[in-house]
Amino acid sequence: MRRVFRLPFLTHGIERDVDDELAFHLEMRIQRLIAAGRSYDDARQEALRQFGDVNAVRESCVSLDEQRERARSRIDMMAELQQDIVYALRTLRRNKGFTAVIVGALAIGIGANTTIFTLIDAVMMRTLPVRHPEQLVAIGDPARVGGMSNGSVRTDVVSYPLYKDIRDNNQLFSAVLASGRAPRLDAQIDASHPELEHPRGRFISANYFSVLGVPAAIGRTFDAHMDDVIGSSPVAVISDGYWERRFQRDRSVIGRTVTINGIKITIIGAAPPGFTGEIVGTSTDVWLPVTMQDVLRPSQKVLDDRGSSWLLLLGRLKPGATLAQAQAQLPVLLRHDIVAAAKPLDARNFLAGKRTWYVSDGSKGFSRVRDTFRAPLFTLMCGVVLLLCIICANVANLLLARAVARGREMSVRLALGADRSRLVRQLLTESAVLAALSAVAGLLVAWWGSHALLTLAGDGRAIPLRMGMDVAVMTFTVLVSVGAVALFGLVPALRASRLDLASMMRSGASAIAGASLGLRRGRAPLGMLLVVGQVALSIVLLVGATMLVRSLRNVQSTDVGIDRDHLVIVDVDAASRGYTGARIGPLANRLRDRLAAIPGVAAVAFSENGIFSGTESSSSVEIPGFAMRQPDDSVVAFDQVGAGYMRAIGAHLLAGRDIERGDEGRPARVIVVNRSLAHFYFGDTAIGKFIHFNDSIAVQIVGVVADIRDHDLSRASPRRVYFPFMHGADSLLGWPGSLRLEVRTAGDPTALVQPVRAALMSVDPLLPIDGVDPLVTLMRESIAQERLLAKLATAFGVLALLLAAIGLYGVMTYAITRRTGEIGLRVALGAQRVGVIGMVLGDALKLVAAGVIVGLPLALAIVRLLGSQLHDVSLADPLSIGVAVAVLTLSAVVAGLVPAVRASRVSPIVALRAD
Amino acid sequence: MLTNDGGLVRGTLDVLVLKALSWGPRHGYAIAEWVNAITDGELLVEEGPLYTALHRLEKNGWLTSEWGYSDNNRRAKYYVLSRAGRAQLRAEVTSWERYVRAVGKALGAATPLTA
Repeated sequence: MRRVFRLPFLTHGIERDVDDELAFHLEMRIQRLIAAGRSYDDARQEALRQFGDVNAVRESCVSLDEQRERARSRIDMMAELQQDIVYALRTLRRNKGFTAVIVGALAIGIGANTTIFTLIDAVMMRTLPVRHPEQLVAIGDPARVGGMSNGSVRTDVVSYPLYKDIRDNNQLFSAVLASGRAPRLDAQIDASHPELEHPRGRFISANYFSVLGVPAAIGRTFDAHMDDVIGSSPVAVISDGYWERRFQRDRSVIGRTVTINGIKITIIGAAPPGFTGEIVGTSTDVWLPVTMQDVLRPSQKVLDDRGSSWLLLLGRLKPGATLAQAQAQLPVLLRHDIVAAAKPLDARNFLAGKRTWYVSDGSKGFSRVRDTFRAPLFTLMCGVVLLLCIICANVANLLLARAVARGREMSVRLALGADRSRLVRQLLTESAVLAALSAVAGLLVAWWGSHALLTLAGDGRAIPLRMGMDVAVMTFTVLVSVGAVALFGLVPALRASRLDLASMMRSGASAIAGASLGLRRGRAPLGMLLVVGQVALSIVLLVGATMLVRSLRNVQSTDVGIDRDHLVIVDVDAASRGYTGARIGPLANRLRDRLAAIPGVAAVAFSENGIFSGTESSSSVEIPGFAMRQPDDSVVAFDQVGAGYMRAIGAHLLAGRDIERGDEGRPARVIVVNRSLAHFYFGDTAIGKFIHFNDSIAVQIVGVVADIRDHDLSRASPRRVYFPFMHGADSLLGWPGSLRLEVRTAGDPTALVQPVRAALMSVDPLLPIDGVDPLVTLMRESIAQERLLAKLATAFGVLALLLAAIGLYGVMTYAITRRTGEIGLRVALGAQRVGVIGMVLGDALKLVAAGVIVGLPLALAIVRLLGSQLHDVSLADPLSIGVAVAVLTLSAVVAGLVPAVRASRVSPIVALRAD
Repeated sequence: MLTNDGGLVRGTLDVLVLKALSWGPRHGYAIAEWVNAITDGELLVEEGPLYTALHRLEKNGWLTSEWGYSDNNRRAKYYVLSRAGRAQLRAEVTSWERYVRAVGKALGAATPLTA
């Protein structure tokens, strides 16, 4: 019996085999019958009869064989995979240094991606941890979580009467809750600690917890009847975090009475862990019934005022109702309600203006950070994806180099009959094992990184966000890792398996090295292409980072119109100490005089809103002879300032005069305006002109001051009016609601912070001081986001640069080792050392040049994404591009110099012997 | 063992195939001839089911197969008893003998058993 090699068969192979087998049987039977004397036809008939249903047998045999084949190939595959993984682990363990470098680099790349994605997930994608978040509809602008507006009716935040109308008169929602900002809370938690604490509070409608479906962890939450009577419910629910932090989870906190803003409040419950409220990125310590607002903040009673807009609403849709229905019906309801309840003039203004209605998906809650973080996070996401690409290119290069070194192993296995696809699969398994190790390490990096980033972003106080592993983050990490394997693993694997067998066997590893890596050999080798790609991606990151840094510089050094380096801003809470109404003027004067007496103080002024204080006032005006084209044309910002304000803060008076003592305390009939206002309404000559406030009251412009960036470094100043600080009742302005003092120092403002505090205490020891800060500190805080972005972009850029340099170094070193013979020959023929160095560096710079040529258009396309983040930097900023190219070229020279010098030392004898 | 319609009980054919292969590799036709010869043509009503049995046993891992050439130099599929198949054959034989003994004892009983 002879045997033939059995080939692995395909499905049609199975059928053919069964057919052959059955045919053999029938033929043998026919032959036997013929031998017994039958005719062929007769024998055939008899053979088929004895066999039975040939087709049925054939079918069942084929189907049994197919089942067997499938089972076998499954087992084979698992066995091969297991074998590959074991083999990969063994290979990686043998090269510990190599493995550590690759896993480390990939962990940084994957970790950076996961970090940024974790933040994107936490800020933009996660739904609130409440019952059926998808049923929630947000009414109001989700970004205005701390909004409070007095005056004309608004639609981005809602007044309490309007909330009640929406709650009671809609058909879409099973319930609607409201929440709004609380003022600073002065709480005395513990009678033995007289010091006041300031937990972060939020006013909520009594149905808040029941609408969200969040039960109390201990105690109870609010009852619906608590909304019935204003001020009737002095109770509070605290957050889990606050319970832990302040009360160490003491259960006796339930029923405890604390004093908040002078009112006794009983803590009745604590929210469950993980629930931080409906605002993403802000944590609330204490929830108070909305009806307590007027009691806890008697200076600003808003509950009955339709002009005080400050609440955001979440409605829970009834079964069957949709967001689209809400978006269609709510504006009608709101408009009708607002117009019916408003004063005739307000109603007319309201109908005249073009209104945006804020009705949106509420499943993710409200967030101030969502809007401010969106652009930076997506910018960073692009950055880290580029970084990972660079890292993958580096790893691919390393693997490629090693694949060359392993060329002999591969060729032996190919020669022994190993399947090419099997080799590719094995190399890919190695890459996958590397990626899996790196993914785990990357998750650790991400866990650490995202917390560090939130601390950085919060300028020391971490922004509270629900982060960590969820399905989205895990999926993302896995996808990124798989993508990385495809990027860095596939190319070297395919490459390595396509080695030229014959040449490999003949001349060993050096021949393969020559075939797949090297300079000046026909087709550009892969290693060089990868370096070119790295350089190109580095250019993108470097240009982006340089532009962000330049933009930050511009913002920081922008002319804000005042003496920014010598100002200390003082913020006192006059109202809570009883300095309200007529009492605020004398206090302002006393504080000014006391502060002015401090040695080193050059000037002192005061104002209602001041500079970088976070509060702002605005009003609409009429200008005789000026036709308003858009509703916004009539809006001006305003402040009330004490005498000598412009001189004290170092503003540039362009025409006319400052506010003087004679103006202070009188009904405001003179004003100083900024240049933007003067230019917008009057062209050049504004002095002496009149502006009408509240329809009728005319005030005269006595001075024009250069624009001051009072509140925002990165945006141009709005039109602004400076009134004299009121000391008496006035139908136009009313009493100033807050008091800030601006202290100009002769020297370093930081040195005067303590003396200023002491002086304030000497006037009234119990006056709450909200802040005494050098202006530069306040400014720096106001651009924390820009600084963070620039810092991170720079870090990513430097990392990319470093990686590109390492890649370049590796490729050049390799190329020189290969060209030892040639260089030796050149030296023997009289080439100078400098010439050799120049030649090698020239090769390196050619790679860099190619990378720059590829990268620059890419960079110019990608930095368009930065658009909104850039201030006074053009999207094709030549300086940024120049800096990026220069830095890259310099690092290329450094990276190339070591191998170049080594090449120049090649001795001709050694070189020739080496071949 | 015969079913009502004269066909073979499935398991019995399997055991016969395993037995046929216990002396070495054979192709399907040889197995069929052996079964016919050994049972005087009484057991195997049709030869087709034999092939279904062969492929089923191969799927179970009791047989392996390879292509070879028959005595008259024709390409034929040879079946070989695997280690698992040999163990299976032993088990089947043991249980068959126990069964036959038990039934034989019952049919040969002289007196009804009293409780």
